[in-house]
Amino acid sequence: MPDRPLNRICYVEDDEDIQRIVRMSLERVGKMTVEVVGDPMVAIGKITSFKPDLVMLDWMMPGMDGPTLFRKMKEQPETSALPVVFITAKATQRDMDELLALGAAGTISKPFSPKDLPEQLRAIWAKLP
Amino acid sequence: MNTLVNGIETAESGAAAAVSADIRDRADPALVRADRVEQLYSQLPLGMAATIVIGVISAVELREGRFIELVLFWGGLLALVVVLHAMLYLGYRNDPRKVQNTAQWLRWLGIGAFAAGAVWGFAAAVFFPSHADERQVFLAFLLAGVISGGIPMYAASWPVFAAYAAAITLPFTYVLATFGNRLFAEIALLIPLFYGVSVAIAFRLSGVFLAGYRLRRAYERQLVELQEARRQIEASGRKLALFAERAPIAVLELGAEGTIHEVNHAAELLFGYAANELIGKSAKHIVLPKYQADFDREWAALIASRQPMAGVKVRNPRRDGLTVVCDWTVTPLVNPDGQLISVIAQGRDITAQLEAERMKKEFTSTLSHELRTPLTSIIGSLQLINAGVLGDVPKDVAELTEVAERNGQRLLDLINDILDIEKIESGKLTLMPEVIRVDELVREAMVLNKGFGDRFKVRFQPRGELAADEVTADRKRLLQVMTNLLSNAAKFSPEGEVVEITTEKAAGKLRVGVHDRGPGIPEAFRSRIFGRFNQADSTATRQKGGTGLGLAICKRLVELMHGQIGFQDRDGGGTTFWFELPRHA
Repeated sequence: MPDRPLNRICYVEDDEDIQRIVRMSLERVGKMTVEVVGDPMVAIGKITSFKPDLVMLDWMMPGMDGPTLFRKMKEQPETSALPVVFITAKATQRDMDELLALGAAGTISKPFSPKDLPEQLRAIWAKLP
Repeated sequence: MNTLVNGIETAESGAAAAVSADIRDRADPALVRADRVEQLYSQLPLGMAATIVIGVISAVELREGRFIELVLFWGGLLALVVVLHAMLYLGYRNDPRKVQNTAQWLRWLGIGAFAAGAVWGFAAAVFFPSHADERQVFLAFLLAGVISGGIPMYAASWPVFAAYAAAITLPFTYVLATFGNRLFAEIALLIPLFYGVSVAIAFRLSGVFLAGYRLRRAYERQLVELQEARRQIEASGRKLALFAERAPIAVLELGAEGTIHEVNHAAELLFGYAANELIGKSAKHIVLPKYQADFDREWAALIASRQPMAGVKVRNPRRDGLTVVCDWTVTPLVNPDGQLISVIAQGRDITAQLEAERMKKEFTSTLSHELRTPLTSIIGSLQLINAGVLGDVPKDVAELTEVAERNGQRLLDLINDILDIEKIESGKLTLMPEVIRVDELVREAMVLNKGFGDRFKVRFQPRGELAADEVTADRKRLLQVMTNLLSNAAKFSPEGEVVEITTEKAAGKLRVGVHDRGPGIPEAFRSRIFGRFNQADSTATRQKGGTGLGLAICKRLVELMHGQIGFQDRDGGGTTFWFELPRHA
């Protein structure tokens, strides 16, 4: 378990409505600091400058999908160590398992409950080494 | 039995097996007897003619003796016997039921033969003692002649010959023995020997005749059977040809080298060619050029292995340039000697089916992703409002946002249930079995569904101690089953009631029961309660929510986990739903 509480979250998601709900959930319910990125192509730069505790990735995004972005993050020294949680509507259990095998910290399926989202993330955070 | 190379069994011909046994046993004994009688009667005209000629010569020779009256009397007797035989012959020939009356005609013929023999015996007894040496030699020669002549006459039935010959030899032997002449007495001793030899020859001849007739009748029967077999084979052939011709699937008969020999009407329709345009051409005519090398290789493998192949999916070109995807079953026909006769290919056009499957997959994917994404926004927004994250909202607004959230959730449940059913029925649902403690699972389900119970003012409570036994099951899916049963129980229980949960151990199994105090399951609904989109009362559906898929999913999930699900009325009102899973050893 990391020695500090979960505070800074970077969320990469192209759907503006969901961006807004997640931001509201994490900021208001979870009292966290949130940076939302709408374009996965510029995500690595934003993540590097924001220095989050944890990154949340959508699976299906135009331009670059979540798993590809995840792999790219793994290649960059600045982002390779960051815990990543996938949030997706499409994935089957097998896809989820694949992501976990690749090194994802956790998966959350859509639709999620914005009331419970901060708790879900904290539970994943607590299980990290 | 002979097993063909391609696995099709064929019965060895029954005829071949019969040939190895004595074929004569197959002859009908009644017909064989009729044949023998027919043979005996067919000899009668010749016998009568010979009797008349010999009788006239004998009468002329013997009239020079002293007893001319006796000669005339004897001649009269002979004539009478001939006339009676002629009547017998005509009677037999004109009898329409002579085959059925064989025994009777044989008896009459036997009597006739004995009478004829007796007339010759009379001649021996009366004329031998009363004539001089030359006449006696003539008589002896005559009698020997008529006895010998009787052998071929009556060969078809040796007892008839034995009676005929006995009637001649007995009086003759007696006369010779009592004549007072030593030479004659010695001849009298030889006559029974002569008689015995004659009867033995007749017996052997009779055997030969019998064998001949039996063989003839057996072959006749065999021929009838073979003709019947041929008729049946021809009928089967016509039936098979009709099946192929009228079959809704394309049927092609191909030679070992891949040449098309025969095509049915469905094949003409499928490929857009007339039969005569395909017959004689290579099957490659209906294979896309880029797959022809593959076709050659697969065909060579088929001809070498001679094993039937099924489910071979091939993209075939049509005459109009379009392609169709066909599912082929290819069966090499091999005869018992191992020679390839031809190859039967049966093809079903599955283009539309594949397209439907693709569309269904696409629809499922759309349902899954495109509907869930907006629902995430809708339900999420409403949840944030209803949870008070944005501060207090006016009471009327709060009521409406709760309605909206509840119905958004209901829509989501429906989508999830439809996806689950689709996944289960297409066999795409993969379970992740693990060892689960049942008491822990039940408590987890009770905690998860507490909120739902609260909404209906119903409490979940274990009755008795929950079993700490383990089952092997998919945790998430078993929780789904529990959630379904608990939420159903809550929905249909009166306010303030308690839904009890029990666990019971039975031989190798563990049963979990959910007992409610609801209105019970209506009789008419019991048989289809685990069907799809089924709820007892559609009014209840609207009031209580639910998709009507829950129990259908539960049943399939429990069965996938090698268990059973069911329900029964509860004492004191209400229903018990239960499921059983094999206990973990």
